Amino acid sequence: MNASKVFLVAASMSMSAAAIAAGAHGGGHGAGSGEPGKASEAARTITVEMYDNYYEPEEVSVETGETVRFVVKNEGSLVHEFNIGTPSMHEGHQKEMMMMVEHGVIQGGKLNHDMMSMDMGNGKTMKHDDPNSVLLEPGQSKEVVWKFTEKGDIEFACNVPGHYQAGMYGDVNFE
Amino acid sequence: MKTRLLTGLLSLLMPAMVLAGEYDLTVDRVEIDTGDFVKEGIGYNGKSPGPVMRFKEGENVRINVTNNLDEMTSIHWHGLILPFDQDGVPGISFPGIKPGETFTYEFPIQQAGTYWFHSHSGFQEPDGAYGSIVIEPEGREPFRYDREYVVQLTDKHPHSGDRIMRNLKMMPDYYNREQQTVGEFFSDVSENGLMNTVRDRMAWGGMRMMKADVEDLQGFTGLINGKGPDQNWTGLFEPGERIRLRFINSSAMTYFDIRIPGLDMTVVQADGNNVQPVNVDEFRIGVAETYDVIVRPKDEQAYTIFAESMGRSGYARATLAPEEGMEAAVPQLREPARLTMADMSGMHGMDHGSMAGMDHGNMEMGSSEDMAGMDHSSMEGKDHSNMSSMDHSNMKGMDHSGMAGMDHGSMAMGKESPSDPFYAKGSGLVPTAANGGKFLSYADLKAQNPLYEDREPTREIELRLTGNMERYTWSINGVKYEDADPIRLKYGERVRFKFVNETMMTHPMHLHGMWSILDVGAGQWNPIKHTVSVQPGTTVYMETEVDEPGQWAFHCHLSYHAAAGMFRKVIVEGGPESKQAKTDVIAEEGGEA
Repeated sequence: MNASKVFLVAASMSMSAAAIAAGAHGGGHGAGSGEPGKASEAARTITVEMYDNYYEPEEVSVETGETVRFVVKNEGSLVHEFNIGTPSMHEGHQKEMMMMVEHGVIQGGKLNHDMMSMDMGNGKTMKHDDPNSVLLEPGQSKEVVWKFTEKGDIEFACNVPGHYQAGMYGDVNFE
Repeated sequence: MKTRLLTGLLSLLMPAMVLAGEYDLTVDRVEIDTGDFVKEGIGYNGKSPGPVMRFKEGENVRINVTNNLDEMTSIHWHGLILPFDQDGVPGISFPGIKPGETFTYEFPIQQAGTYWFHSHSGFQEPDGAYGSIVIEPEGREPFRYDREYVVQLTDKHPHSGDRIMRNLKMMPDYYNREQQTVGEFFSDVSENGLMNTVRDRMAWGGMRMMKADVEDLQGFTGLINGKGPDQNWTGLFEPGERIRLRFINSSAMTYFDIRIPGLDMTVVQADGNNVQPVNVDEFRIGVAETYDVIVRPKDEQAYTIFAESMGRSGYARATLAPEEGMEAAVPQLREPARLTMADMSGMHGMDHGSMAGMDHGNMEMGSSEDMAGMDHSSMEGKDHSNMSSMDHSNMKGMDHSGMAGMDHGSMAMGKESPSDPFYAKGSGLVPTAANGGKFLSYADLKAQNPLYEDREPTREIELRLTGNMERYTWSINGVKYEDADPIRLKYGERVRFKFVNETMMTHPMHLHGMWSILDVGAGQWNPIKHTVSVQPGTTVYMETEVDEPGQWAFHCHLSYHAAAGMFRKVIVEGGPESKQAKTDVIAEEGGEA
């Protein structure tokens, strides 16, 4: 374990294309976890590395109202998620993720992208494109820009079945 | 650096282990009180079960074992990778430990996880000679927990092991209380018709087995950490904490179905090796297996750990509670499973013609759910070609490993029908969760971090698991241990073992010294185990990287099956010169195993 790799705080910078894309969806889950942030408002970047099955760091500190750019890297050999939400939001999302495993979308260390965009019969897909989360294969890196609008019981978590229960989550502490 | 500091700290905290890595065990006559009965047995350091041995990955251990019995003894470190002469099997690894003698085991700890130890002499293990091993890993674990408990199960019988073996030899159904009665015969007749019932009974008689032989040893009290159901072993927790439960089945003969009503369990380790976490409501633990689960009780209440025997003839019970003395409801035992003809399909000498002529409705003596399970002709887990030929439009383009990774139970099959690729199609033994939820299957076990590169096996060895229930003989390929030649393996090869269970009982096969890579169809993610259960009427494959020289035991871990002859010696030829041994010397002595 590499305890020294706690935060990688980069200086604020003008946003990347990916950040804009992530922020553009809007909406989010509402109720207590914050909202998609504008990359232009992100004053700092926090790098979160995902291993099998844990995060480094396992907690981050934010200020109420702050917008943070998370750079999420999957350094493990399994598919992992980085998802910002309350414990009950995570619980709800775990059911969707279970479905993704049952349908072969998540296969250990791989994502079946064809499967993700397939119409499930009700016009829905398993794209996993909510702005509060990213789902990454090993070696991938993506960004999440998030505004922590209010204090709350917020965790970042991996809802791949079993991972959250095994302890793959981190706390968001409000300063 | 960090490791050394921790070891230092540990030795300060544990006065019994003043010298880091030095441990003492005495083998003693002890009294065992189950709450139902008190009996004399064998234990370690004055107690049965013996202590939790806590090791640290990377340490060298010296364990001084003093035999205070008036007979030979031995300790086998179940699941540990070590030099073969430290493996503790009399007649194979060493001569054994004489009365009054102290034997010092010395070996490096090269792994982490939950294991156990037990005597490999006579029936000392069923008589109480077992304990647990917890090995802390060098690095961090792929999961988190706030506290941990060993939950070690056994099936404590009022009779001594010697007496049980004598009775089984004399009358194999001596301990089988679940035999079908005349009354049941007539109720079967009314449900299934006279001819079908007679034919069914005749088929069973022809196989020299009693239909209810899911368990051949009943009349035990299930113990958890040495406590009977009324003595109620209790583990404390603070609500919200994650608790790691290290389940170990140290039974002589009994498989347990384990659940904790009100709590989800996340399986994170099997046989000491980390697996990709699986959320389950219930799981079956074979004899000699271990499973580590994480639970998170959020409420200020007690929870019952309920372990029903596979044949539903008994149970073990314990409690997780915020305070000592609290308890939760203890569920009733469910109806016993009944073997079906499907479970018998592997049996040697069966008249298949007459089976085909049988009314299918009569093949199932269990519930109608079992029937539904029979339709799933493509669920045969061991035959992958069947799986890919399934007509399931969504499956297109998926690769093989991914398919195996899926929850087979939910694959386009009716929701309620229990099916598990590791049970015969239409088996009466397929377990279902009491709450209708998820029951763990071997097919769910995927290595968290594969130990070996996946590669083609160099050859296949078929091992038919055979027996004759009426004479209580158990064997491999029809030959019992004392008449059998050893299995010879070559250092450096990768052997594929094909188990074909031709009996009606489940056999937990345990290869000493080297890992059993269980083929669950997941390729490089296949889990590694030390004990592999083979259900009646099924074929199961496992592969072994032959990476330890010397000679090893390989046997069914049901105590009385091993003793009856379902046992082999494995000799690994070649390998590093320094590690090759004076095996011939050892082979001459002992003979007891």
